[in-house]
Amino acid sequence: MSGIMTEHDDLDMQIAEFVLGTLPAGERKALQARRELDPALDARILQWEEQLIGMTDDVAPVQPSPELFAQIERVLDQRATQLDNTASVVMLRRRVNQWRWSTAVASAAALVLVAVLTFQPASNPDSFVAVFQHDDQQPAFLLTVDLQNRKLNIRPVTAEAQPGKSYQLWIKSDELGPNPRSVGVLGDQMQLDQGALKQYDPALLREATFGISLEPPGGSPTGQPTGPAIHGYLYPAGNDLSRRI
Amino acid sequence: MLPDSLTPSDISALLSSVAKQDRAAFAKLYEATAPKLLGVVLRILKERSWADDVIQEAYLKVWQRAGLFDKGKASPITWLVSIARNKAIDELRKHPAGRTTTDDAMDERVARQPTVQDQMEDQQVVNKLNHCIGKLEKERQNMVRLAYLSGWSRDELASQYEQPVNTVKTWLRRALQDIKGCLES
Repeated sequence: MSGIMTEHDDLDMQIAEFVLGTLPAGERKALQARRELDPALDARILQWEEQLIGMTDDVAPVQPSPELFAQIERVLDQRATQLDNTASVVMLRRRVNQWRWSTAVASAAALVLVAVLTFQPASNPDSFVAVFQHDDQQPAFLLTVDLQNRKLNIRPVTAEAQPGKSYQLWIKSDELGPNPRSVGVLGDQMQLDQGALKQYDPALLREATFGISLEPPGGSPTGQPTGPAIHGYLYPAGNDLSRRI
Repeated sequence: MLPDSLTPSDISALLSSVAKQDRAAFAKLYEATAPKLLGVVLRILKERSWADDVIQEAYLKVWQRAGLFDKGKASPITWLVSIARNKAIDELRKHPAGRTTTDDAMDERVARQPTVQDQMEDQQVVNKLNHCIGKLEKERQNMVRLAYLSGWSRDELASQYEQPVNTVKTWLRRALQDIKGCLES
């Protein structure tokens, strides 16, 4: 039997069971994390979701209580006051797609953080982006890039040093080709040379996305992200929020 | 319970407004789709307040991620229902004891007659799926529906049907393969 099942079939059945809901919790989590980085996998999940969705036709709709939407709006209001600039939020969202690497890379890829520079209001020369860990409201790292001076500043928020592992920062931009390029490996104190982005044009930096992977000590041996997948979610943060954190 | 005036392409349009942080569009989207999502989630979690929490999380995620919705890749209803359903199943796996009973789910699997009002999916697609599920052995039909609609795990199915977990896994995968083959035929 084992000879008959190809790897492709097996993945297809894993996806199918994920959508059905019976994939065991650990495998389920891993697949969800991979999905965030792998558009091909995401597309296959969407296909299975589309195939099985008809079963919900049997389910009677249930009218939610009026308080529920009011509560959702309250949470949105609270979050809105924490956000710096609504326009940048929208632009950041669009960039999430760019961070989805090619399948080949993504299957081994890992990242904790995505950070994007959009535009800078004159009064605020720094753009902060906090990224939240999967299923968690805490940002893993904050990355600040001063576009004019091409200086970066990275600091961990909830991310902790991992024994025998290094965090590595990557940059990705269409102009640099399909694969991420290493910016540098974070030191023991989770620091990185402020001038690590000097070689890049501000216009490129403005469009680029960034990610962090967990790698063997000293950085990826292959020149591409190889570590385990820990996914983060984009969130922009203004000066107020970064101070608060 | 999609109001007659809202078609899937209306929902897609609302999603793209939501992606631009349009709160009025978000309210409309919620009004049109929340009853469907709550029905699906409640069937899985059984507890109203638990289901409410999941719906809240689901719509917050919709608000954040509406820009990622791609109408070329998914129907908007499927996309929305899947966000809520995935959260419900994640919750159930995290707190398996949170649901007080699984017995009542057995009764619910009997298909009820959907009313015109709550048909959100393309009826031809629904009919084809029902036809394909109907071709499975009776026991496997029930397993597929219990898993999908009521969130039963492999273990729960194994004890209900008095089979080893691996057998259940094999049956489920065979059933899914059969469904896929039938849908493609």
